[in-house]
Amino acid sequence: MIYLDNAATTAPDEAAVARAQTFLKENFYNPSAIYGGGFSVHSALKGAREGLISRIADPAKFELIFTSGGTESDNQAIFSGARRGNAVTTGGEHAAVFESFTELKNRGVEPRFAPVLRDGRVDKEALLALVDEKTALVSVVHVNNETGAVNDIFALARAVKAKNPRTLFHSDGVQAFGKLPVRLTGDIDLYSVSAHKIGGLKGTGALFKRKNLNLLPFIYGGGQESGLRSGTENVFGAMTFAYAAEKKFATLSADGRRLLKLRERLWELLDKDIFVRISPEDGTPYILATSAVGMRGEVLVRMLWERGVVAGTGSACSSRHRFSRVLAACGYDEKTMDGALRWSFSPATTEEDVERAAEIANDVAATFKGNL
Amino acid sequence: MMEKVVIIRYAEIHLKGKNRGYFERIFIINLERALKGLRHELHRTSGRYLVEKFDTARYEEVMERVGRVFGVHSCSEGLLVPNDMDSIFEAAKCVAPASGTFKVETHRADKKFPLTSMEISAEIGGRLLAHNHALKVDVHDPAAHVYVDIRENGTALVFGSYRPGAGGMPVGTAGTGLLLLSGGIDSPVAGYMMAKRGMTVEPLHFHSYPYTNEGAKEKVRELAALLAKYTLVDRLRTVNVAHIQEEIHKHCAADLNVTLLRRFMVRIAERIAGKVGAQCLITGESLGQVASQTMEGLTSSNSVATLPILRPLIGFDKEEIIERARRIGSYETSVLPYEDCCTVFLPEHPAIRPKLSYIEEEEAKLDVEALIEEAMGTLEYIRL
Repeated sequence: MIYLDNAATTAPDEAAVARAQTFLKENFYNPSAIYGGGFSVHSALKGAREGLISRIADPAKFELIFTSGGTESDNQAIFSGARRGNAVTTGGEHAAVFESFTELKNRGVEPRFAPVLRDGRVDKEALLALVDEKTALVSVVHVNNETGAVNDIFALARAVKAKNPRTLFHSDGVQAFGKLPVRLTGDIDLYSVSAHKIGGLKGTGALFKRKNLNLLPFIYGGGQESGLRSGTENVFGAMTFAYAAEKKFATLSADGRRLLKLRERLWELLDKDIFVRISPEDGTPYILATSAVGMRGEVLVRMLWERGVVAGTGSACSSRHRFSRVLAACGYDEKTMDGALRWSFSPATTEEDVERAAEIANDVAATFKGNL
Repeated sequence: MMEKVVIIRYAEIHLKGKNRGYFERIFIINLERALKGLRHELHRTSGRYLVEKFDTARYEEVMERVGRVFGVHSCSEGLLVPNDMDSIFEAAKCVAPASGTFKVETHRADKKFPLTSMEISAEIGGRLLAHNHALKVDVHDPAAHVYVDIRENGTALVFGSYRPGAGGMPVGTAGTGLLLLSGGIDSPVAGYMMAKRGMTVEPLHFHSYPYTNEGAKEKVRELAALLAKYTLVDRLRTVNVAHIQEEIHKHCAADLNVTLLRRFMVRIAERIAGKVGAQCLITGESLGQVASQTMEGLTSSNSVATLPILRPLIGFDKEEIIERARRIGSYETSVLPYEDCCTVFLPEHPAIRPKLSYIEEEEAKLDVEALIEEAMGTLEYIRL
């Protein structure tokens, strides 16, 4: 099987899972327990937390809350950060952010949506125009999960702060963490990440938070995660996340360079009579969004699956809706959206993988086209 | 000694004269199948059945399962006691309301019982009034009933109400039909209606993977499982017609896509009917509902069939079908958003009144036999 749906989820990193096994077996203690066993688990978790922070931020300036995943991190950031006035986001967001913004309306906060450019990046000027003295929060996705376009969140955050220093800046970094070189600056207040996009486990994520920033608790209870997210910690998940990140960050630049070549190789081999390209060239090396215009992407996905190639149509979380909200915001027509096919890579992806995938994709799409 | 029982009365079986024994035998088998997995004893008594010795905490489940069996006219939650007046009174106390008007009605199968029906009613009614001053007798329009049934074997049944059953005839007494089960609202209702008349309903589903997805098949599986609660047939067959759709799309006039596909479905269904011993096909078609369900469309399907095609919904409005689907409990699943027939191949303007000669002409462009053979190769048997 050739797995090219890594933006949906990655296979768990076996070495990371093996290393974390001890927290399922002998070190199963509750990290809040006051005896030796509990303390050792507590210490391990602390190590994992610090390790993860240091990957992309200065531990003196940032904290990290373990969560159940990217969606929870986004929810926590948005509902904690936007409690009055208005909040600004983009039309290119993942549903975890977009739907939370829609909900803000019911909570007395005015949501504002900035338009995106053709490639999925936000229109910077339009975004800034929406920010005013009443803007509580701005949220901009770091890497667009459907097109792979990268927003320059650092420049955006700086510009937002220049316009209103009290506005919080959040970014959904789920498709960026462990894939792009990132260093969180002081302009970024909140940053969401997920474990299962980099070899960790589903059900684990984290929210980076600038120190001294007050958030509301998201789950009330025993006061874990500095009182912001109560509940006995998912120790095994958090440890696997930290170990997977350790491995992923060690080869981050080399992986990026290699996958950029593979991404372009795949594009080169795909039949241009059938496929059009959606992803920008300066987007993440990990995603190549294409469209078999006039065909049904979901049917192609199933045909590919039968031939041993796994790809996606876009955001897995929204694959129940016929057309992608994000691609519609980019201005694509229905036929292009209908045919959307997203290829996404991991460091495990090989050149043979993409060559074989392209061959099968061309064949399957030609068959489909012939049947139309 | 007082035992909680469920009393089952049957619907039309008594009409069956000399065949009554046959109908009753099948009815008992069906009741047993419906109660499978629940501890119980099923006893036949004069003109009715009793479910005894079940876990009383699961009484509602017993009532529900039994109530769904076709052939059940009504069931009651009852108390089984020895047929002496003290025991009957104890049971009557449990069945009687806490306050308001009531009436005791007695039926006496044991004619040797020392009191007449009227005397028993009067005696129990009197005792209840003395026991609970909030009660009042009203023989004309009582708010509640206490029914006493003196049986021949030295026991009596006391109960307060009747719950209507599914009615109809026991499944298995009226032949076998092959149901063309789509993922829509109509076909489960059609299957239900035929099963209600005693037919054994074997469901068959056509899908077009990869044009349709796994979710659509799962949905049909759920519908079949739901239907099985009534039909007691816990299996489903599926056939993939994707290639047939492709060929029709490629070679034939676009406005006949659906018409031609339906003819293939009928032919394949007949082959499978032969395998399962079905004597007819059942569809959820309703006259004029969609383009393929016009008189011309139905004629086109009939003309390739040798078995009768039963269409129990033919004269129903959509509203009426939906109402029945809701009652059966299939509506919620039927409206789940999965495409059961891929819209990739749907014509923009389907033929509404296609002439048979035109249909046959277009169909002649295909190797019908080979396509059917190939589709038969995709037949899957699913145990629900």
